[in-house]
Order: sequence, then structure tokens, then C-alpha cells
Amino acid sequence: MRGIIPFVAGAAIALSAGWAGFPYAIYKSRPQPVDFSHRVHAEKAGAKCEDCHAFRNDGTFAGIPSLDKCTGCHAAAMGTTAAEKNFIDQYVTPQREPQWAAYARQPENVFFSHIAHVKLGQVKCETCHGDQGSTDKLPRYQEDRISGYSRDIWGTAGRPGMTMDNCVDCHRKQKLEREHSCLECHK
Amino acid sequence: MTTTRRGLLQFLGGSAVGALFTPAPWRLITDTALWSENWPGIPRPARGEIRAKFTNCSLCTAGCAVRARSVGDQPVALAGVAGGLCPFGLTAHHLPYHPARLKQGPVKEAAAAVADAIAQCGPSEHVAVLDLRPGRTASWTYRRAMASVHNGLYLAPPEPTVAVNLRNAKTVLSLGAPLLDGWGTPADVFAARDGFRLIQAEPIESRTAALADQWIVWDRPPGLSADATSLSALAQAIAGEMTVSEAATITGLPADQIQSLVKELKDNGPALVVDSEMSPAVVALNVRLGSWGRTIGPRQEAPVPESWKKAAPRTDLAAVPDRSIRVLLIDESTPGEYLPWESIEKKLAANAVVGAFAPWTQGYGRHAQYVLPTAVYPEALDDIPPAIDSVAAAFRIAAPLVAPPAGMVSPVEFIAGAAGLPASDALRERADAIHKAGRGTLVTYADGKSIPVKDVKPEDFWKSLNAGARWVDGALGAAVAAAGVASGLGGADPLVRSRPPGRLSAPAQQADEGVGSGPGGPPHYPLTIVTESRAAFLSSPLLSQIYQESNLRLAPNRIALHPTDAASSGIADGAHAFLETRDGKREVQVTVDSSVRPGVVLVVGQTDTASSGAKVVRI
Repeated sequence: MRGIIPFVAGAAIALSAGWAGFPYAIYKSRPQPVDFSHRVHAEKAGAKCEDCHAFRNDGTFAGIPSLDKCTGCHAAAMGTTAAEKNFIDQYVTPQREPQWAAYARQPENVFFSHIAHVKLGQVKCETCHGDQGSTDKLPRYQEDRISGYSRDIWGTAGRPGMTMDNCVDCHRKQKLEREHSCLECHK
Repeated sequence: MTTTRRGLLQFLGGSAVGALFTPAPWRLITDTALWSENWPGIPRPARGEIRAKFTNCSLCTAGCAVRARSVGDQPVALAGVAGGLCPFGLTAHHLPYHPARLKQGPVKEAAAAVADAIAQCGPSEHVAVLDLRPGRTASWTYRRAMASVHNGLYLAPPEPTVAVNLRNAKTVLSLGAPLLDGWGTPADVFAARDGFRLIQAEPIESRTAALADQWIVWDRPPGLSADATSLSALAQAIAGEMTVSEAATITGLPADQIQSLVKELKDNGPALVVDSEMSPAVVALNVRLGSWGRTIGPRQEAPVPESWKKAAPRTDLAAVPDRSIRVLLIDESTPGEYLPWESIEKKLAANAVVGAFAPWTQGYGRHAQYVLPTAVYPEALDDIPPAIDSVAAAFRIAAPLVAPPAGMVSPVEFIAGAAGLPASDALRERADAIHKAGRGTLVTYADGKSIPVKDVKPEDFWKSLNAGARWVDGALGAAVAAAGVASGLGGADPLVRSRPPGRLSAPAQQADEGVGSGPGGPPHYPLTIVTESRAAFLSSPLLSQIYQESNLRLAPNRIALHPTDAASSGIADGAHAFLETRDGKREVQVTVDSSVRPGVVLVVGQTDTASSGAKVVRI
């Protein structure tokens, strides 16, 4: 019976290290360059998702807006918060693009068409991006030290991930029957 | 408590089991796989603004309109506009990165050597330009350049003098033309396909034969030196000047087949007869059928500036005296029809200077002293001559989608400079001449509009052409009808004219000799060479290289044999062998194919020809 103690101890240490310690080891974390509030923009400015994350005329998706878009309203400070002052001083005044970290960055060999999903498929932004649009603070960006991808691609409770399995699952649920067409998504 | 080795192993075992129930090992496996996607050397798609650019494909004379999806300045995908693109056209944006691409050449040395040779050219010696794709604006520059030098010659493969209109045809008799396999403008041919009945006459079941409404196995095909006679017999049978049985004897076709063919061509008109080169005999047959002005007419050309018309005419290589060319400059920068080097070599003087302008070294570059690198589609700025099925005159430019690398040579500038022509932008001058003529329509693919040229300013006309638009003469059809028989093609009886000999066909007297000779006598040549006809441009090294790499079709370095013949020659599929005729032998790779008829060796060529007297020898 005493012989099982080292085995159990080893298993317990491995389990605790694997579940509690591993995420800290595998991910490095950094804040976004600007303390941005989606909620403030949505509630106070009445902005909708597509006002900033717009489609271009040719149907391509603009993604994260550039500084030009921000300075359309923030040419001068709008408010007295520290975040606003930091944004004006660090980026607007020197005309320096914020180096946003994209939570949903896809691999180079993947072509994802936003317009096909949003306009044709009527998929809401929240379906893939969760409640990002109503948060008051951007979460820290957690980057996998080995793969280089964001931790967010694995999904969270209530929000599916953005892996190929997640894409295929959703397409199967919608009975789109296109999951076997490699070149639909892969370059 | 003491630590024993057993305890340590139990601890490690427990750790391993425990670890399996955590995400750590599984995530490490996944992450390692993802990390491997980002290894150095793995191609990365370009990033940047996505734009659409329009141009025209210059790989062949079809000149298909192309929409290029570009990321920044880099084209990443090509697609057809209002029609498809062939596999070559779809992947043409990869051509500049071909590993065999020529990137540098002895430009200064070549210029000096050519200048010296021109200066020392004797009174009976010639300076010549060989243009593999005549009919371009560049061709006009070469002709002007050769007109301005002493004893200048402009050499080029023969251009068709007629254009065909498949849309008007109800019955088409194709004498071995690869009508449904890259002939003319393939998209237009297939668009018109439902409107006509196609009868394909050739000895092999080509792709066109397989897709035709009727395939006539013509064992004595046109090209075996008897084509004019056969076609003349067919024409006379149509006109009732010869009985069907007489025509059958001459053509080698069964009498009932001749009868049904004659009936079909006469009753289900307008009819059209085509072959690979639109030879005079075929044109004459069309005239007999009453097709002139309906399905066939003179070829139209876009206007050129008046000052260009003092240009050297095209000279047939065969007409040039042997050992008389002192300087030969060959433009093979665009795919075109190749002339055998043996026929060129005997025309060269002993101290001839030969320069080839080419993106690769596999073509004439193997024989030239100077090989100068050129831009390749889609880097090169060039215009595209009209295809055989282009009834109206047209002008379209292959506008560059990417910048050529440094060190590329423009053959037009080099040759014009060597001949002392003043530097000019010939394409722009020609566009201005077309605009000045004031007729025709500008078709822009970016917005799908057609605008009469007279409503467009010269500057906008030029800009549109460089953005992939094309000019089409508005006198479509009218010119064909107006020219009619008075064009001269219908006047003299072209049936008596001889057809240009097939490039790979043996002379008739040779073809009939020696067949069946036994051991000890003359060499025994048991096989008949049958040439699979193919659009001329596909024989270019530029594209045949792709054939050789892909093996999708019979490449120019390959032959096909029936398994029985391969076995009797002791040759396996894929083996290297010599294809031997009385004229010589060349190394080939053998494809064993049961669809090839026994006794036949199938090779690739530009015309449908057959000649007896060949054998395949195992290396």
C-alpha cells in the first residue's frame, strides 16, 4: 500500500502543474496599446460594430480600424480620462498607428471572408467575437509562446473558438455541406 | 522515509499518468504543429491592399481578358473576364519565378558584336530578325528596322491571311485542326460550338475528334503531300465536277463517306472547312462552298501610322540563300511558332552573329552566341495579334502586372537601336493611329462598357488600353462581306498552290522508300509517324517546359507507342529511346499508350501530318 504513495503524489503534482501552472507557462501576456472601451463608444457615441469595423467598397473587411478612423472623432481629446490623454499624446499627436494585437488572427494559409458570413450568412458579430462589443476594457492579449497565436482562438464559455474544428462544426450545424471544400477557406 | 529507486519510478509513472489528464501534452502537440507552419522558408501570402487589375493574356493569340487579384502590387490570382482562362493563363503569374528564368546576359558585348557585324556585312550578306509571333506592333518595328539596314530581312512564320467566323457556320469540317483544343480563341470557339455540327477528319482520336459530332478516320491525312490533291478532289466532288468514286480513290476515303460529307457541306450551310494553317487549298475549298464572306474572310489588321508602311516585307526562311545571314536576331520573348534550328543554321554565314532574346535558355538560346534576358508575361508590355477566329481587327495590350527584374532587355529597343531607328514608343504611336482613324469601339472590362472611339480622348484611350481594355473595329462583318471574292483569294485558284510543308513530315518520295526493307538492305523503318496537331504557341519552350514537368499531355520531348510496338522494341513506359528517321534521330522519352494505333508513333507538332519510315531504338 505504501508503494502507491509516490505514484499518487506524482500524479497529483502533474495534474496541478498541468491545470494550474501550464497556462502561465505557455502564454505570455501583454496589454493592448490603448485602454479602449467598446461600451463607451457603443453607448455614448452610438457607434455600431460596422461603423469602425467596416466593409470596403469591394467587399473586403477593414478589420481593426486605423488611426485615421479614430482621428475622425478624436482629433482632439474627447474627455479628461487618463486613457484619452494617453491616446492623444502617444498616437494622435505623433500620428503613430497603435500596434493592436488581434485576438482573432488567423493563420496565413486561411482566407476568411467576413462579408460572406455577415451579409450572406447573417452571422452576428457576437457569435464569433463574444461580448467584446459591450466590454468596458480590452482583455490582455495572451500569446502562445510556441505557436504565436492568441489564446482567444480556443474560445471561452459561451463563445466558440476560431479553430478549423469550430468552423467545420458550425458549417455542419448549418447544413452548409461545404466543409470538404479545402479551397473555400485555404489559400 | 527513504527514497528508493522503485519509489522514484512510481513517482515518475504517476506524474506521467497525471500529465496525460492535463491539457499540457495535448497543447504542446498542437502548438508544435502550429509552430511548424511558421518555419523559415515556408511561403507566406502577401499582405496589403487588395485590388483588381485588368490586362490581356499574351501567352497565345487568343489574348483572353484577365482580371488579376493583386495584393499591393503583387498579382496573387488570375481569372478570366466574361469567360475562363486555360491552365496556363490561370497560373501565368508564376512564370516570372520559374527556376529556369534567365536573369542576366551579356548585353553590352552583344550590342558591340551586332554593331560590328552589321558594319562588316558583305554585299551579299543579310542582317535578319526572326520574329516568332508576327502581327504585333513589335513586328512592325522589326520590319521598319530591317528596311533601314542594308540587306535587312524580316523572317517570321507565315501568318494566316484569312479569319473565320464560327458563329455563322452551321457545319464545320476540320481537317485535323485542334478546333476544341486551344485553337483560335478557345472561349469563343466553345461559345459558338452549339451552333455548328463538327466533323473532324484526322487519323488519331484527338481531343477534338472525341468531342466532334462525327470523326472521320482519314488514314491518308492532309499533309502527306497529297493534301491539295485530296482537297481539290473533294472540292470537285462538291461542285459535281468529279464523281464520288473518283474522289474516293484520290482521297482514300470510302465513297459513301465522301457522298455524305459532300451532302452535309452543301445542304447544311453555311459551311466552313478549316485546317491548322488555313492553307490556300482549304481557303479555295471554302470559296467553292460559297462560304467566302459568310464564314471566312480576309484577316483584318488594326491601323498603323502611315510612316510605318515603308517596312520590310516578311521573307520566307526557305527563300533566303544558304550561308548568307551575317547577323540574326531572334525574338522569342513571347510564345510563338518555332522553326527547326536545322533550317535556320544552314542559312547562317560562317562568321554569323546570332543573338536570342528569351526569358529562358531552352530555345534558340542553345545555339546563339548571345542570349539576352527579356521580360515575360505578365511583366512585359506587348500587344497581341488577332487570333484566326477574330473576324474584326482588334488591338489589345498585355499591360504589365508586375515590374520586370533589373537587367531585362527589350528586344524592340535593342533591334531598333542596332538598326539606327530613332527611339520611340511604338505602341503609343499605334494607339494614336487607331484613335485617329476614329472607328471602332473601346471595350473596357473593368466596368463592362463599350464606348465608340470617337467619344474617347486620345489620352484616355491610351490609359484604357493600358488598363486592360481592347479596341475592336466597328466594321465587323462588313469588311468581310465587302472584301469578298475581290480580295484576290477567290480570284486565282488557290487549289493549284502548294501547301507549306509540315514541319515534321518527311518528303513524299522519302516516305514511300524503304518501308519493309529486310535485313542487310536499307534500314528498316516499320513505324509511321503521326503528328498530333497542336496550337503553335504550345510548342514554345516556355510552355513545353510546363508540359515536361507536369506530363499532363504529350510533351515535345515525348512520343507515344502502342504496347505491342513498345514491347517489340524492348521499351518500357517512361524509358528513353531514339526516334530515328532517314533525316536523323533524336532522343525522346516513351509513353506506352494503348490508345495509339499499332504501327504508329505519335509525336507532337503544329500540323496534322503523317509520314512512314521511322523506328524507335532503345538506348
